[in-house]
Amino acid sequence: MSIRPPTLREKRRYLLVHIEPAGTIIDQKDLYYTVSDATTSLWGDGIAAVIMSAVVASEGQYMIIRCRRGTEQDLSVALSTITSCCDNRIALRMVAASGTIDTLREKIRKEKKPNPEEISPREYMFDKKLFQIDQCNGQKIDVIEKGFKNTNRLFLTREDLEE
Amino acid sequence: MKITDACVYPYPKGDSSVRRMALEAKSLGFDRLVAADTPSAEFYGIEIHTGILIRDTAVRDLTTRIKRERNSEAIISVQAGDNGFNRSVISLKGVHILRGLHSADKNAFDHVVAKMAADNRVAIDLDLFPLISGRGFTRQRIIHRYRDILVLERRYEFPLTISSHARSILDMRAVREIAGLCSLIGMDTPCVEKAFFGVDIITTPPNPAVKVIL
Repeated sequence: MSIRPPTLREKRRYLLVHIEPAGTIIDQKDLYYTVSDATTSLWGDGIAAVIMSAVVASEGQYMIIRCRRGTEQDLSVALSTITSCCDNRIALRMVAASGTIDTLREKIRKEKKPNPEEISPREYMFDKKLFQIDQCNGQKIDVIEKGFKNTNRLFLTREDLEE
Repeated sequence: MKITDACVYPYPKGDSSVRRMALEAKSLGFDRLVAADTPSAEFYGIEIHTGILIRDTAVRDLTTRIKRERNSEAIISVQAGDNGFNRSVISLKGVHILRGLHSADKNAFDHVVAKMAADNRVAIDLDLFPLISGRGFTRQRIIHRYRDILVLERRYEFPLTISSHARSILDMRAVREIAGLCSLIGMDTPCVEKAFFGVDIITTPPNPAVKVIL
């Protein structure tokens, strides 16, 4: 099919989402399948075909998801039902919606925080258990329990560890 | 009136500390959290309200437990059972919220219980966790059940609360996303707002019908 002139093309919208927890690396294709699955499960094939979602770009923890204009609300509801991707527990937080990818890339540059802080010591006692710091960003600290068997991930704050 | 998530489970029941949940709630647009078995406090501008969830208890034991907790500031909620149990629970003084109607018996919540809930100002909780994590028939059944509850809510106007039942920050959702999810069960924006303020409605004493002026 030949490319249509701009006035005849379908209008698209782009959603910028942030992947939680920090440090999770998700493949663009895997996320596409997860988004597609969530959309189809919630709205059915008919509306999923109208939404026409696609993951078009990724920059670290941020992903840009495309949809047809007017279906942003439906897509964002479907995104809120995503709880895991490739056996990793995740949550997608919607940051912004725009008509161009450039605007969202600009937004990513503004939102992007500096490199994760290095804090020492790297190991802390919390609730009589030894934890290793995995991610640290401002007040937020993600820790992983040290050990062979129960390596649970906990989401804490600086104040929790200082207590 | 504060936008409230009516039930979260911080550490040790969940994997996130209450402070971290407060931090997350702030970025998601909430003003208050009802946290199970956590002392009341305020972190990062988010009010934490103690919540007590009673489940799998006979009505007689429930009465004793509620009497013991009545003087505390905690929000007392009871897991729904069959129709008779729910009628008994709603008529108990001190119960604030009836939870888990999505997993209760089909006839657990009828027009009589709805009328009693409205009269006694007991809120009915809409648990969003199964809506978020459920798929297929499970989710369809829950949507159907919540729609049924809302039909009675429009008729009798009992208070509603919305809770995420989050055990992790990853289970928490933004206010806007919750409003979107509630649209699945036929709730419009004013109805969602009213449900977010449900905890304020049940904790504020009602205006007396007769005022004594000395």
